[in-house]
Amino acid sequence: MGLAYKFDWGVLWRQPYGVWLLKGIWLTIQLGLLGWIIAFALGIFIGTIRISPWRWLRFLGTAYVEVFRNVPFLVQLFFWYFAGPMLFGHSLQFRINAIIGLNYYVAIVALGLYTASRVAEHVRAGFGSIARDQYQAALSTGLTEVQMYRYVIIPYALRIIIPPLTTEFLTIFKNSSVAMTIGVAETTFMSYKIDSETFHGLEATTGAMVIYLILGLAVVKLMGILESRFRIAGLVGRK
Amino acid sequence: MRMFDAVAKNISFLLGGYWITIKLTMFALAGGISLGILVGLGRISKKKWVYYPVTFYVNLIRNIPLILVIFWFYFVMPIIVGRPLDPFPSAVISFIIFEATYFGEILRAGFQSVSKGQIDAGYSTGLNYIQTTRYILIPIAVRRMLPSMITQSIVTYQDTCLAFVIGLHEFVRRTTIVDNFEVRSIQLFGFVAILFLITCYISSVVSRRFEVKRERGY
Amino acid sequence: MIEIRDLSKWYGNFQVLDNINEEIKQGQTVVVCGPSGSGKSTLLRCINGLEPFQKGEIIVDGVSVSDRSTNLYKLRTEIGMVFQRFELYPHMTAMQNITLAPMKVRNKSKKEAEVKAMELLQRVGIPEKAHEYPANLSGGQQQRVAIARSLAMEPKIMMFDEPTSALDPEMIKEVLDVMIDLSKGGMTMIVVTHEMGFAREVADEIIFMDEGRIIERGTDISFFKNPKNPRTKNFLDKILL
Repeated sequence: MGLAYKFDWGVLWRQPYGVWLLKGIWLTIQLGLLGWIIAFALGIFIGTIRISPWRWLRFLGTAYVEVFRNVPFLVQLFFWYFAGPMLFGHSLQFRINAIIGLNYYVAIVALGLYTASRVAEHVRAGFGSIARDQYQAALSTGLTEVQMYRYVIIPYALRIIIPPLTTEFLTIFKNSSVAMTIGVAETTFMSYKIDSETFHGLEATTGAMVIYLILGLAVVKLMGILESRFRIAGLVGRK
Repeated sequence: MRMFDAVAKNISFLLGGYWITIKLTMFALAGGISLGILVGLGRISKKKWVYYPVTFYVNLIRNIPLILVIFWFYFVMPIIVGRPLDPFPSAVISFIIFEATYFGEILRAGFQSVSKGQIDAGYSTGLNYIQTTRYILIPIAVRRMLPSMITQSIVTYQDTCLAFVIGLHEFVRRTTIVDNFEVRSIQLFGFVAILFLITCYISSVVSRRFEVKRERGY
Repeated sequence: MIEIRDLSKWYGNFQVLDNINEEIKQGQTVVVCGPSGSGKSTLLRCINGLEPFQKGEIIVDGVSVSDRSTNLYKLRTEIGMVFQRFELYPHMTAMQNITLAPMKVRNKSKKEAEVKAMELLQRVGIPEKAHEYPANLSGGQQQRVAIARSLAMEPKIMMFDEPTSALDPEMIKEVLDVMIDLSKGGMTMIVVTHEMGFAREVADEIIFMDEGRIIERGTDISFFKNPKNPRTKNFLDKILL
């Protein structure tokens, strides 16, 4: 049984397909980076309130993490995109839906909110691995709780959790592909579009795979550089 | 419950989709864990011709998005089989290949945690490689990694939504279909979200109880 | 029964066994002692093929261990081994630990294997613990189950690798008693241990190893009263406190 399929790798760089892919890559990068900014900031905040001394704050943090962790990302994305505008009431919702590029903004926000819940867990674990005595030492020099967190604990914890954060950073780029379901023209969307025009989806998706691999390598390299620059001497590291 | 009337009206259609979600999850787990055991064993193999291909496969799949893997198989399978494939089998294969890498890494950690002495003890009574692997290595590793395996199973369950993109009539796709003519998005997607929230939360609570039970000295 | 000729083994550049020569006749009990790192455990593991070696020969009951055509699995059914850390399978009861190999290797039926297992548990003194998991057994009990597990395959030779080193002092006696029993019953045994009381009672020969070589050997009386080598004397002084 011979393969009745003729490979056409040219779809990857012939015009206009090549340009499509490049535009898609650019959008993937945007989604990942902007989403990460939200995820990082929000995640640190939520991770911190999870270990704060006030019960209701802790509960809020736990609730956030549980909700955003247990609902699949696709469902979250659809909720914000389809149901989100309706939350603003009858009159506003039409104006929101008329925003051009709404799907782009929704995707970034959704990615940020989702990934924040995961970052929060890593931050919490990072705090947990810092000995109690560090907290007490900082407080005993007269710092307030907020100052202690800001100048001592958070910077310390962040360095410890660089490896798991690298994984989350990689994951956010992978999850950006889900945005194609609401029409965001990123890499995966483009490879699908190339298939619908040329019927050479195999080559297109293989090309997309290579793109994500390269992106992943770049992220790992970047975080590796960060890790070595911020390494804390005396703590167990890799190799 | 006037609040969820759109859901109630279409409940059987929606739950039909949920059933497909469950079926896909079951197949994906059965295949993913079985293949995952082989992947884990391959990753600790001393034979180069086993270790390198398996490591390449694992590192490849773990770096690309699941949607892409789903598409890729959707495009590849017809070429190999010679005719277009239904979304369900295509999705099952994609998920098995994808999840096996994650289960494989979990099991690898489990295998590496079994003390060499126990395997030696098995060999010293005359058991061969397959017997020591089957009766000693795998059972101990699986019991140790049970919490992680449950967590990963929950992730697989959540991932099945993505089969949406090749037209599989699972839960989320059916919800979007209903949403198209009911336009009661908050209810409908809220319903999906709540269902997942409840099922996943309960599963993770169960998994935490397994971690406590592990104090039995494994 | 066991002949070791010019056995040498290297880990990379490090020589762990250096020209070992020894003969162990059927029914003999040989005790091997020496400081840690002297290669005693490695020697045992070479005999049943768990570790490969680069030079020399080991012949067990007429079979050469390093010969390519030798079926190591079959060889191991004839040699039982007891480990320092017991190494019972934690997910199986004592009974299941003992019956696994007889059922899977010798194809015994479950009933047959369990009857024999109970006999062995009786022999090592803990028949009531048959359905307990290792986590619920004391160290001494676990080690006795481990001995029963090895005996279940009816081996011709039993090897012990520091069987009491990981035990609390109160439990050492119960394990040594089982081993003394075995030795007096005619089993061919190689025992790596520091328990000199045991050696004095049943050893036919005592070997002192250091840095991969056999430094001195003798029967119990000559060994303890007049050690020829100063290193032996040194070692004995330390452990016979």
